[in-house]
Amino acid sequence: MKRPLLWLLWGWMATVIVAAFHWAPLAEGFLGQSSRILFFHVPMAWVSFVAFMVAGVRSLAYLAGRRTERRDQAAAAAIEIGLLFALLATVTGAIWARIMWNSWWNWDPRQASIVVALLFYAAYLALRAAVADREARGRLCAAYATLGLVVAPFFYFVLPRLGFTLHPEAVINAQGKVEVEPRMLVVLLASSAGFTALFFWMHQLRTRLALREARLLEGSD
Amino acid sequence: MSSGWTAEAAAVFAKDWRAERRARHAVATLVLFAITTLVIASLALGPIGATPGERSDVASALLWILLLFAAAAGLPRVFVHEEESHTATVLRLAARPSAVFAGKLAWVASLLALLEAVATPLALALFDLPVASPGRLVLALGAGGAGLAAATTLLAAIVAQGRGATTLFAALAFPLLVPLAVLAVAATRAALGGGDAGGVLVQLFLYDSTIMVAGFLLFPVIWAP
Repeated sequence: MKRPLLWLLWGWMATVIVAAFHWAPLAEGFLGQSSRILFFHVPMAWVSFVAFMVAGVRSLAYLAGRRTERRDQAAAAAIEIGLLFALLATVTGAIWARIMWNSWWNWDPRQASIVVALLFYAAYLALRAAVADREARGRLCAAYATLGLVVAPFFYFVLPRLGFTLHPEAVINAQGKVEVEPRMLVVLLASSAGFTALFFWMHQLRTRLALREARLLEGSD
Repeated sequence: MSSGWTAEAAAVFAKDWRAERRARHAVATLVLFAITTLVIASLALGPIGATPGERSDVASALLWILLLFAAAAGLPRVFVHEEESHTATVLRLAARPSAVFAGKLAWVASLLALLEAVATPLALALFDLPVASPGRLVLALGAGGAGLAAATTLLAAIVAQGRGATTLFAALAFPLLVPLAVLAVAATRAALGGGDAGGVLVQLFLYDSTIMVAGFLLFPVIWAP
């Protein structure tokens, strides 16, 4: 990412943080300032989904097109960063649950579904570690991440809706309408856009680093 | 599909049952695991351990936990033994990848159907449970078993090429099987207790179809380097 774009991203994220704490109003029915976690928790969950989809698309390109090291490493990097954001979404959700429900964890369908997604993609890393041959590792991991492309929507959109949930309604509710206060919606969308750009910057860095590590290992063999 | 493809898939299916009849590895592992687990669970939660209401609630969950763990114990070897005995190369030459997947999938599905046919009546007897809707119970077991077979066959092919196949299989399979297990437990509970499970069965069929289509599309790249 070019330096001016990077400065723009940092400025954007700083503005989002200030707006989240000083400009956006508090949501009704939430204890104290707890609703402000929405501006970070929701974008983190969103970015984890974007990351897993990016990994799936890069893996599909690896299987269908030229099987380059870059595509393999880009998929792995997306999953690593997706796991980080999914973990952060889980932790921020648990903090919010402690404030609102007086319990860190109660197996609400949304909590359960993000844990399943975490386990599914953590298993991808276990698979990478278990296959020594580079060609086989790339092929098998790409097949697994492509499988994620079709099952992750179940984890994120179907599983959370199975059974009773105390989780606040999604930004777009079951009737397909947005019922969020306009200033909150602006901050939430700005935060989601900022976190998405942050992911792509981190992804670019991690992929480059992984490619250099691979080249170094190749040189030491 | 051509008749040649069907013949290849049928040959893989027949070969695996012939090998199983000689070695009896998978059937013995799966059935003994299921019986042992059911005996232990029914001692703690059966007629002397829990009230009828509690039993019907936990039996469906226990039955699917048992089926998942039995599958994890006995099915990773579906492809591992082909790699270990160096028959995988011959199989790659003898049949198309999709026919190999279809044959293996049919073999795993028939094995799971056999396991369900043994474990379910035994669970109902040991837990002393009435069945409100036998037809729906068969549907729930069939749909759950089909999804379980598709997921385990696909993942068994992946882990066969890695180190520590059985451990790796559990790490890969359980997250993929959670949505299937949640839906299958809900459908089985409704069949035992008499509730409506139409929506759950539709979601279960949808998940099964997703895994099966993904399996047929991905298997050729997993199987043939």
